[in-house]
Amino acid sequence: MPISYFQGAMLGLLQGVSELFPVSSLGHSVILPRLVGWNIHQNDKFFIAFLVATHLATAIVLLGFFWRDWVRIVKGLGRSLRDRGIAPDDADAKLGWLLVVGTIPAGILGLLLDNALRSVFASAQSAAIFLCLNGFLLYGAELLRRRAPEVAEDDDTRIARQVGWRDTVLVGSAQALALIPGFSRSGATMAGGLLVGLSHKDAARFAFLLATPIIGAAAALKLPELAGSSGNGVRGPALVGALCSAATAYLAVRFLMRYFERNTLTPFAIYCFLAGGACAIYFALT
Amino acid sequence: MNNRRLLAILAIVLGLVLIAIAVVYWVEPARSLPSFFPGHQAGSGHHHTKHGIASFLVGLACLVFAWFNTGGDRSQRPAA
Repeated sequence: MPISYFQGAMLGLLQGVSELFPVSSLGHSVILPRLVGWNIHQNDKFFIAFLVATHLATAIVLLGFFWRDWVRIVKGLGRSLRDRGIAPDDADAKLGWLLVVGTIPAGILGLLLDNALRSVFASAQSAAIFLCLNGFLLYGAELLRRRAPEVAEDDDTRIARQVGWRDTVLVGSAQALALIPGFSRSGATMAGGLLVGLSHKDAARFAFLLATPIIGAAAALKLPELAGSSGNGVRGPALVGALCSAATAYLAVRFLMRYFERNTLTPFAIYCFLAGGACAIYFALT
Repeated sequence: MNNRRLLAILAIVLGLVLIAIAVVYWVEPARSLPSFFPGHQAGSGHHHTKHGIASFLVGLACLVFAWFNTGGDRSQRPAA
């Protein structure tokens, strides 16, 4: 069996947390096996099949967590298509189109560059270096961020008002950084959100909403790998990994939505910088 | 013809062309793609499904853009 049940559970637990924390799930999935001496590499077909299951679980958890928001957003999209425009007071429709417009560049870049970037940056060494750079990215966003105005509207209305069409293309495109193991999707989008003037809480909320279709679509697109011969011998551990990933993803999103009401990205930046730097030095020496 | 209408017509044409290109990517193997298409490779039987999906999505976005631009004047329009 290429991945044991124990390894599946560990990688699943790690994936659920690190996908939503701004610390790069792919980077951790590459670094951990090398650190503990597991013979698992990110370009192994069975590992890609395993990741499909854990990503699908994370996407389902995100969809469930924001279910009511998604229902409102989809209704808003429907209203705007029917009316052939977005009413000025329709925050749900505006947010829905912001998510669509933000998802398109990330989706296209992901479709076209995924395999190329994975093969170029496949090593744990490069993932550790990029994890370190992810720390700089998060800290840089904290330094450069625009202060969000204090307004008493609900979350989605604030986001819809603050984020423009160009902003959402910028923030959405930033997700493509996550194709490089070590850079975090949620970190890049939260950083982008802060730079366009969102508060930490709104930036996190926008990042999670943006992540849901991308993670879900990427996993759905690769489902045949799990169902086909690449999934042979992996489906059991993948199921365990998916359940573990779902559990930690739920706890992570709950925690983060509260955490970002009052706190910043700086602790995650410090973690990425120190962990990435330490792992890069360790891998270079061993 | 005003600029908005011209833009909408261009978006419709571009959208339809991109959706047609998507179908070509899905149906034809890499060896049979026109040589100026990204992904063309002599002798390869690989289907560039992802290129097709990307082309389809951009084409769809163009059609949605045209749909909004041919509507009334009273509201905001997505920049897709």
